[in-house]
Amino acid sequence: MKSVPMLSSAFLHPAGHSLPEPLLALRKERASALVDMPLPTRKTENWKYSSKYLKLADDMAISLPAEGKTGNSLAVPGYKVVFLNGVMIPEASEYPDLDGIQITSFNDLDADEANALAARLGHTLDHAQAQFARLNGARFEDGLLVRLKAGAVLDQPLFIIHETSADASGSAYPRIFVEAGANSQLTLVEEYTSTGQASALISTVTEFSLAEGANVTSVRLNMEGENVQHIGATGVRQQRSSRFESHCVGFGGPLRRHDLQVRLEGEGAETKLNGVVVTQGKQHYDNHTSIDHVAAHCNSEETYRNIAADQSHAVFNGRIHIHQDAQKSNADMNNKNLLLSNGAEIDTKPELEIYADDVKCAHGATIGQLDETSVFYLVSRGIDRRQANVLLTMAFINELVEQIPVAVVRETAQARLSDFFEQTFREA
Amino acid sequence: MLSIKNLHASVEGKEILKGINLEIKAGEVHAIMGPNGSGKSTLSQVLAGNDAFEVTEGEVTLNGENLLELETEERARDGIFLAFQYPVEIPGVSNLQFLRTAVNAMRKHKGEAEMNAAEFMKLAKEVSKQVDLDPAFLKRGVNEGFSGGEKKRNEIMQALMLQPKLAILDETDSGLDIDALKVVSDGVNALRSDDRAILMVTHYQRLLNHIVPDYVHVLAGGRIIKSGGRELALELEEKGYGWLGIKDDDASN
Repeated sequence: MKSVPMLSSAFLHPAGHSLPEPLLALRKERASALVDMPLPTRKTENWKYSSKYLKLADDMAISLPAEGKTGNSLAVPGYKVVFLNGVMIPEASEYPDLDGIQITSFNDLDADEANALAARLGHTLDHAQAQFARLNGARFEDGLLVRLKAGAVLDQPLFIIHETSADASGSAYPRIFVEAGANSQLTLVEEYTSTGQASALISTVTEFSLAEGANVTSVRLNMEGENVQHIGATGVRQQRSSRFESHCVGFGGPLRRHDLQVRLEGEGAETKLNGVVVTQGKQHYDNHTSIDHVAAHCNSEETYRNIAADQSHAVFNGRIHIHQDAQKSNADMNNKNLLLSNGAEIDTKPELEIYADDVKCAHGATIGQLDETSVFYLVSRGIDRRQANVLLTMAFINELVEQIPVAVVRETAQARLSDFFEQTFREA
Repeated sequence: MLSIKNLHASVEGKEILKGINLEIKAGEVHAIMGPNGSGKSTLSQVLAGNDAFEVTEGEVTLNGENLLELETEERARDGIFLAFQYPVEIPGVSNLQFLRTAVNAMRKHKGEAEMNAAEFMKLAKEVSKQVDLDPAFLKRGVNEGFSGGEKKRNEIMQALMLQPKLAILDETDSGLDIDALKVVSDGVNALRSDDRAILMVTHYQRLLNHIVPDYVHVLAGGRIIKSGGRELALELEEKGYGWLGIKDDDASN
């Protein structure tokens, strides 16, 4: 029998020991549990279409140093926290002391806070599905804790900029933990960017814990460079009447993977997940989402769109699990895909498991090409064929991009997408 | 201005146009009438450069230039405008973005500076009033959720914005109530000028009560079988296509 490939032991040695003791202990425990971690192959169901893109060389196990200049990111109007290779850079971060709101680097937590965090870190995720979240748990060197007390409202968006700087091969493990108290409100923007040309692995984990009535909007912009493999996981747990909204915009790369897991655990909780993915060249992007309707009377609405050009490959897997007691659940999932060339591939799969008998659950998936009639209409008005293609391709996702609530992020996403499509249609 | 000689065209191997000859001079308004299936729309689409139709024989020149060698967008920039029988809905691209991109593409071709947002808005609002469209439509997707009449008015608005040399109106009267027909006709009449030609393609002659043509041609079986003045359309209305020995196989239009 052929042996299953395992994660190289090189990856099991975390660097950096400045974390508070309880987090160091947690990390050590998780690292020792990773000794038997199998790497996904094409026989691994949730990595079936993506395992071939995963290329982990031993030199990538080295932690990328958290030094050097930061840059290359959004000029933001709100509060800003900058991480370089997974470690917070206080000099580049700007946010005020706010009543009822704690924004603290893991490295700066006191013993009690660190103990409390260690007890909760990872609790929003199903690690069997998001295997690489385990690697992050064993390797994180810092992280950001955002805690909102009951009723606290963050008056401006909080931008967390995760920059990867890879002049030599290595990896980084950014981590965010958000605890939104009862009726608190927060908009959080995660931006992932990179500099440097070396091969890098970024394994991220972001967790949101929403207490009763909390209202959290999350925006995730994935814009790293051509040599960065990105495997991210986001876990969300929602209590009664809370509302979570997610907007993900992803640009393809050698390997791009995002697992988004949402658990609706209290009645009346609502979640809305929007996602846009664009790939070109030989790029890849894989979104795996999972929504668990645990409590009754919850709503989920999910809309993902993929656009794949050239020989690129996009994957969408949307799982909805309606538990036995989750009566009157309302779940709506929609995935539309646009193929811009014969060589591109998109794999889409809805996965519905319904154990309650009084629910509404709708899903739909389509794959199509640019509409020739629309192209003809535009060019018949003198518009360049290339520009017509760009306009129509943008149109396919505009509806979702326009819903991004933070103007600077929305405009950045639009500009980046537009540039991307200009490049996609350069030969046309 | 436009010269069509022995034009043959087919779609999916089936010949639709079987030798069209037509000369249109600047300042003239021509109407092409004919029953469904006679090739009227095919002629419009071929002139605009739709790849779905293959020209198998003949030649078409616009001011001496071989039109058939040009891409659709080049024809548009040289002054060909087709008002579609069925304007396309494009959600996600706003009318404003669409019109401005088109107007600026034309300006760039003529070596003129692009219009800035404010200048463009002013012009677009003026012209939208001319065709009785609420300027709020500019923010909506191209033809998205428009009624049949609104779509046709939007086509005329585009013609007014782009100021073509030759405007081809493909069944622009179909689906219009009498008020909308009046608005559309006023728009088309505003386009009439000494240096512009208009080619109207229509099944019925009622549009010709509002936009009076200089010449009327009857198209049947892929050929122009009769040409005349305004009176030909009236005669056709009175006597029906059967008068010319043509079967009008679909009177439901």
